[in-house]
Amino acid sequence: MFKEYFSIAWRSVVAHKIRALLTTLGVVIGVSSVILLLSLGNSAKAEAANQIRAIGSNLIIVRVTDRNGVLPTIWLDELKDSGKLAAYSEIISGNTSYVVNGQNFDVSVSGVNQDYGFVSSLELTSGRFLSQIDLDNNLPVVVIGPKVAEKLFPLTDAVGETMVIQGVQFRVIGILTERGTNFNGDLDATAYIPIDFAGTLFPYRLNSKTYYLASETEDTVATSMRKIESYLTSVLPSANEFNVFSQSQILGVMNTLMGLLTTLLAGIASISLIVGGIGIMNIMLVTVRERTREIGVRKALGAKRSQILIQFLIEAVIITTLGGLIGLGVSYVGAAIIQYLSDFKVTVGLDSVFLSLIFSITIGVVFGIYPANKASQLEPVDALRYE
Amino acid sequence: MLTLSNVTKHYKMGDSVVRALDGISLTIDEGDFTAIVGPSGSGKSTLMNIIGCLDIVTDGEYVLNQIPIKKYEEDELAEIRNKQIGFVFQQFNLLPSFSALENVMMPMTYARVPKKQREKIAAEILTKVGLGDRMDHKPTELSGGQQQRVSIARALANNPAIILADEPTGALDQKTGKEVLDLLTQLNKQGKTVIVITHDVGVAAYASRILTIRDGKIVDDSRKEADHV
Repeated sequence: MFKEYFSIAWRSVVAHKIRALLTTLGVVIGVSSVILLLSLGNSAKAEAANQIRAIGSNLIIVRVTDRNGVLPTIWLDELKDSGKLAAYSEIISGNTSYVVNGQNFDVSVSGVNQDYGFVSSLELTSGRFLSQIDLDNNLPVVVIGPKVAEKLFPLTDAVGETMVIQGVQFRVIGILTERGTNFNGDLDATAYIPIDFAGTLFPYRLNSKTYYLASETEDTVATSMRKIESYLTSVLPSANEFNVFSQSQILGVMNTLMGLLTTLLAGIASISLIVGGIGIMNIMLVTVRERTREIGVRKALGAKRSQILIQFLIEAVIITTLGGLIGLGVSYVGAAIIQYLSDFKVTVGLDSVFLSLIFSITIGVVFGIYPANKASQLEPVDALRYE
Repeated sequence: MLTLSNVTKHYKMGDSVVRALDGISLTIDEGDFTAIVGPSGSGKSTLMNIIGCLDIVTDGEYVLNQIPIKKYEEDELAEIRNKQIGFVFQQFNLLPSFSALENVMMPMTYARVPKKQREKIAAEILTKVGLGDRMDHKPTELSGGQQQRVSIARALANNPAIILADEPTGALDQKTGKEVLDLLTQLNKQGKTVIVITHDVGVAAYASRILTIRDGKIVDDSRKEADHV
């Protein structure tokens, strides 16, 4: 029986192609904008999560702004020996500028120890990272990001070459793999040198200290953080002088923010779905009025109230579902365009397909029920007399 | 077949009440060919609506096929219309976007006849009314007479006992009108109870019994012994 209703409804939709198409427009715009925004939000979330995971979710970052605030090496080693920390490195960063082909090229230089590579999950394409010997002897060696290698040594293998940082000559010993950009800036325009060198090259940075610590596992991150916090509270006058945060915390905050933003935008976009629904209702009311006589004939020939109701409801649902499918297509195209223009990866997932179908069917039912009910309640005598 | 006892039907028109039917009693037997004749406003359309279960009486009793039609639910009335009565309208009332075959199939759809069977029956009936070669035509591709024959075929779809025709020739010229009336006569001879509502005495002449109605009352009931042809 359902098949019959469907084919009757389909026939009348096809009989008014242009009208049906124009009517679906509201749903098309609504569905495509909601889907596109949700996909964008999800892609942004995934992107952020990827970046942070690349750095390592075991990572704890400690910033101390008090001059006296130091995490003593002995204390850190103790933590490490007790199995709470896998590795740690203090980090002193500064910037240095080069002129390449008449253009400024900024490189973020960081002084770190030999464990930093592990802490930050760095990988190399060639050469090696800083070693214990480099640190102990304070050797002028540098590990550089791929962009630095490309800009400063475009023609040769950078490993073994020398580069000048703040007037000091450094020998390049390793090149890092590409990591892209995150909230810390361009991760590929970086250079890593032994920490004591950084202390002399960027002395003003000594006022505050930053430590990167890798917890043994993801689960021990919280306990390690508590340990560090209680230690710093015991040596420093005020808790304002330091902060301790983990990579997963940042991830959590970003996820929450991004989720909120996505929901908000999708919520605004869904207003257009409601507007589209009202358009459907409007057209269905016109259709019912136009087809009063048909309804009368059908009733005279034995159609029950429920059968008329279902026929018109299905018609509304067909129109909105059609709109939903077109909207889905539009959002696929939109995603491809955004990806092409911004090289930001946007994927319309399978969940979006279901979502758009659920949306459009719901809109059809919600806004189609009133006109359909109106049709079903026409008295056959009156409906047959209608011109 | 059907009995009306002291049936009245009142309509509210603004403040006043219109007595469209005012105490009508009649019995129509199975196999009758009855014409209900009267000028416009006489109440004959209201009578047709009552007989066709499109409307219910204000007072009195209507029994169709031993079923008293009084306080029926709308859905039950729909089912009675679907199975017991075949309607033929003045304006044919075919659905324009459906073919002749599909139009004839429609009452069977509501009777939940399986599709294969619907198609077979509809094709048979259309062939019987002489439209075997026009089954896939849309109503607009058919002449008035052909359209009325499609609607008679549609009325026959669920094999009802009664054919109720409201001015079946009203939109046709004399020649095609006669063809339609001949078809109705033929159906009557095959055992259908035929009721024709008309203002045209010439049309009524085809019937074996003529009920004249005026101001909501039956004023004349005459039977013809011999066939008119």
